[in-house]
Amino acid sequence: MKKDKKNSFNTPEGYFENFHERLMDKIGKEESQLESIIPKSDGFALPEGYFNSVTEKVLSKTTESEAKVIQLTSYRKFYYGAAAIAAIFLLVFGLNWKSEIPIDFEDLANTEIDAYFETTEIDMSTYELAELVPLDHLELNDMLENDIEAENILEYLDENVEDIEDLNLDYNDYE
Amino acid sequence: MIAEEALVHELKQKESQAKAFEVLVNTYKERLYWHIRRIVLDHDDADDVLQNTFIKVYKNIDGFKGESKLFSWMYRIATNESLTFLKQKSRKMGVSNEELKNRMVENLESDVYFEGDEIQLKLQKALATLPDKQKLVFTMKYFQEMKYQDISDVLETSVGALKTSYHLAVKKIETYLKEN
Repeated sequence: MKKDKKNSFNTPEGYFENFHERLMDKIGKEESQLESIIPKSDGFALPEGYFNSVTEKVLSKTTESEAKVIQLTSYRKFYYGAAAIAAIFLLVFGLNWKSEIPIDFEDLANTEIDAYFETTEIDMSTYELAELVPLDHLELNDMLENDIEAENILEYLDENVEDIEDLNLDYNDYE
Repeated sequence: MIAEEALVHELKQKESQAKAFEVLVNTYKERLYWHIRRIVLDHDDADDVLQNTFIKVYKNIDGFKGESKLFSWMYRIATNESLTFLKQKSRKMGVSNEELKNRMVENLESDVYFEGDEIQLKLQKALATLPDKQKLVFTMKYFQEMKYQDISDVLETSVGALKTSYHLAVKKIETYLKEN
């Protein structure tokens, strides 16, 4: 028996020498006990040769994206942009009164904003976006890839609207 | 083991990018696939998400600052892509996240790429009852045998919190398997 000089507790002979081994044994036993309850394999399979073909698929997609960039959902990016700008304005004006060092829009590098939108999947519904960006901050042309000329709108209305009353125009606004 | 820094450097150079990217895909495709598969369960979905993950990696490699390991960064992208994929899927189907998880497990019974027995199916049902974070920690630790420190780098959560999550997940799964 070894005695601790500072107190009267003692430990069995060789206790600390083989402590690590006993601990690892215990951990091993617990793990095998766990494996007897929870299976170590989860039963997923995959088509034969899948990993050989996936490299080719990925590489062909990356070379494709380099060759031509077609923005199928460009309006979406605009929504994100508009939401970001609105959020930044809210942040700047909302925090200005209590922060000692005013946050400037210039503090945000464009590349950082771009990188954020590139790497972050902002999963906002149209309703969430509508809440964030007030209607009076948006123009019709903000939603469209190509601007619509006033003439074209008038032409469209001329061809498609039978009764001018259907438009519910408030004439006072135009007088 | 490839020298990560050298690979990242090559990925950022126009002339060596294509070759380096092929090395990257070949090195990490299997590990990332299994990580994604355990989240989305279906092979075709996992295939889609895996490809999207690599495309994101390719497009954003210039933004990779090397503050974390390349592998942790890719794992993080794969995790986010998988969870976003499920969120979009539940929205498209008009069901809640929980309902989607239940349906995914039900579909496994007729999935040609699921060869699990009754216990393994039950395990998937148990996993479907866990919160996302607990399920992630459990699968990364138990099936992928990742170190807590590596999981911590991916999920940006402290090692202590991960140990707690893992412990809770094990207890819940054990209870589920015993009771069902």
